[in-house]
Amino acid sequence: MSQVTLYSVAYTLSDDLLRAIGSVLPASARSWVTSSDAVTALALLVFGAILLAASMINTIVLIWWERKLLGRFMDRRGAMHVGYAGLLQNFADGLKLFRKHTFRPREADSLGFYFGPTAYLATSMMIFGLLPISSGWNAGAIPLTLLLALAIFSFAPLFIFVSAWSSNNKYSLMGGMRSAAQMIAYEVPLLLAVVAVIIVAGSFDLTTIVYEQQNYWFWGPLVVALIVFVAGMLAEMERIPFDLPEAEAELVEGWNTEYGGMLFAFFMLADYLRALVGSILVVLLFLGGWTLPSWVPGSLTSFPLAGIVWFMVKTYLVFGLFVWVRAALPRVRTDQLLRVGWNRMIPLALLSVFLAAVLVTVRCVPVFGCVPSPGV
Amino acid sequence: MTDGESAAASNPVLYVVRPMATAARQFAKSLVRPSTIVYPFERLEDPQFRGEVAVAAGKPIGVGAIWDNYRGVHALNVATCISCNLCAFSCPDLCIEMVTVPGGDPKHPKKCPEIDYGKCSYCGFCSDACPEGCLTMTTRYELATAKRAEMVYSPAKLYEVFQHKLPMNPIRLERPANEDAILLDPPLCIGCNACARDCPTQCITMLDVPKPEAKPGEKLPKRIWKEPVVNDSDCVRCGTCISVCPKECLFWGGRA
Ligand code: SF4
Ligand code: SF4
Ligand code: SF4
Repeated sequence: MSQVTLYSVAYTLSDDLLRAIGSVLPASARSWVTSSDAVTALALLVFGAILLAASMINTIVLIWWERKLLGRFMDRRGAMHVGYAGLLQNFADGLKLFRKHTFRPREADSLGFYFGPTAYLATSMMIFGLLPISSGWNAGAIPLTLLLALAIFSFAPLFIFVSAWSSNNKYSLMGGMRSAAQMIAYEVPLLLAVVAVIIVAGSFDLTTIVYEQQNYWFWGPLVVALIVFVAGMLAEMERIPFDLPEAEAELVEGWNTEYGGMLFAFFMLADYLRALVGSILVVLLFLGGWTLPSWVPGSLTSFPLAGIVWFMVKTYLVFGLFVWVRAALPRVRTDQLLRVGWNRMIPLALLSVFLAAVLVTVRCVPVFGCVPSPGV
Repeated sequence: MTDGESAAASNPVLYVVRPMATAARQFAKSLVRPSTIVYPFERLEDPQFRGEVAVAAGKPIGVGAIWDNYRGVHALNVATCISCNLCAFSCPDLCIEMVTVPGGDPKHPKKCPEIDYGKCSYCGFCSDACPEGCLTMTTRYELATAKRAEMVYSPAKLYEVFQHKLPMNPIRLERPANEDAILLDPPLCIGCNACARDCPTQCITMLDVPKPEAKPGEKLPKRIWKEPVVNDSDCVRCGTCISVCPKECLFWGGRA
C-alpha cells in the first residue's frame, strides 16, 4: 500500500501549482520555477500552513468543546447561537480580540512584553507540528520526537516568567513565579511517567510507541504512569485544579493580567494548544494513538482518514476528562500543590518506572497479554 | 504531613473521587435537559415548565402560581378610568403623567395615566390606589426597547396591554376608617363650586343653604349660598375636591 503522507500531498499540490505557473512563463524562468528546490521549498511552506491551520482550528474547536461540556457539567448549555450549536462562537470571539487595540503598560519592558506571548504560542505550535496525528502525518520519523516535544513543552515557564516579569505588575509576577514553581515541580513526575512508557515501548519515537501498542494499549499495564502523567499534564497546562498561576480570585488573571487584545489571544490559544498537545500525548502514549484494538470490525477502521478521525475522537474524549476534572475539583493551594507534586507524584512515578521495568522483564501481564520484544 | 488538616487534604476519596462522581451525575442529568430555559425561544410560562397551568384550556397563564402577585407592565382600562389622578398622586417615582385622551367633554377633559418605565420601580402603589380597578399590574415582563422614548407608555399602549387579558393584581388598599369620608367645615365654605366641578365622579351636588338674616352691625360673608353634598356611594375618595378647594374647608374624616 502506497503511504499517502501529508507531506506528499503538500508536495504534489505545490508541484502542480508551480508547473501551472511555469507554463505561462518564458522558458528560462520556467525551469527555475519548476526546479525541485523551488517545489520543495513551497511544499514545506504548504505543509507548515496545513499544520498551522490544523493546530489553530483544533484549538478553537477544543475551546468550543470545553465550553459545551463545562456547560452541561454546570447544568447549562454553553455557547449555542453562533453557528451550529455555537461552533463559530469562538471564531467570533477570536475576531473580536483580533480587532482590539493592544495596550502595553507604560512601565512594562516592551521586549519581554511582546516576546513572551509570541514565543509561548510559537513553541506550543512547534510541539503540535512534532506530534503524529496519524501515520503519514509528519514529514518523516524523527527518532527522538518524544524527547524533543517534551523539551519544547518545558520551555513554557521561561516565557511565562519573562512576560510576567516584564508586565511590571505584582500580580503578574506572582502568577509567573507560581507558574514556574509549579511547572518545574511537575516536570519531574511527568517525565518519569514518560520514562515508564519509553521503557515498555523501547523507543523515543512516537510513531513507534503507537505501533508498540498493537497488542494492548499501555494505559492498562501502566495505569500508575497514566495517573501521574495526567496529573502532571493538568499542572503543566495550568488547568483547574492546578491553575494557581492564573487564579482569577486572588491574582486577577495571574501572569496575563496586563495582556489584552491579540496578545491575550496568543496566551489563550497557546494555553488551549498546550491542552490539545497534552491530550494528544495521552492518546499517543497510553491509548494507542490512531490505531484501534484488533477486535474492532474492519469497516470502522478502513474508511479514508480513519486514523485521523479516531485519533481526534480519542483526543477530544481525553480532553473531556480534563474538563470533567475542572468541573469537579476546587483549586488547590500552592503548598498543597507542591506537596502533592514532590511527595506523592514523584514516588508514584518512580513506582511506575519500576513496574514498567518488571513488565519488560516478565514480558507478559495477565488479562492484557504479552509485550512484543522491544524494537530499538 | 502529620497535622490533621494535611491528612484530610490528601484524602483522595474525599477530594477527588466524590466531587468527580457528583460532577458526573450532574453531567448525566443535564445531558437530558439542563435547567436553563433557553429564554427567547422558551419561556418560564410555557406549559412544559408550568404543568399546573392549563394554557391549552384557555385559562390565563400564571393563575395559581408564582405569577399571582407578579408586578410587571401595567394594564389600563381606559374605558373605566375616571381620571381621578390618584395613580399619579400615589406614585413615589413621579413617573405617571396624566395626559388627555379622547372621550371627555371640553369642560372635563378625560385624562389617563401615561407611565414612564424608565422611572417606574414597579412598586404597585398606583394600582393599589386606583379606585376603579382599571389600572393593574400584569405579568408582562419584556420591556426592552431600542430608544428611551419608547419606554414611555401612553394610555393607548397601556390599553393594548389590557386587551391581552394578562393576569392582574387587583389589590385595592382600604383607606383607614378615620379618613374614609369627605367632610365639610361649613363656616369656611364660600360655595365656589370648584369641588363639584372637578369631582371625577360628579358625585358632589351643590345644595342651597338658607341665607341668614344679617344682624344689625354684622356683615354677612360675601359668598354664594350653596354647599357641597357628597354622594358617599359614588365617591371614590380621590381627594380631588380637597385639593381644589380654595378655602381648605374640605377634609378627610371618619364616616358618620
Ligand atoms: S408602579 Fe409605582 S412607580 Fe410605577 S407607576 Fe405605579 S406608583 Fe409609579
Ligand atoms: S387612579 Fe385609576 S381611575 Fe384614577 S386616573 Fe388613575 S387609572 Fe384612572
Ligand atoms: S373625594 Fe371629592 S372629588 Fe373625589 S370623588 Fe369624592 S367627592 Fe369627588
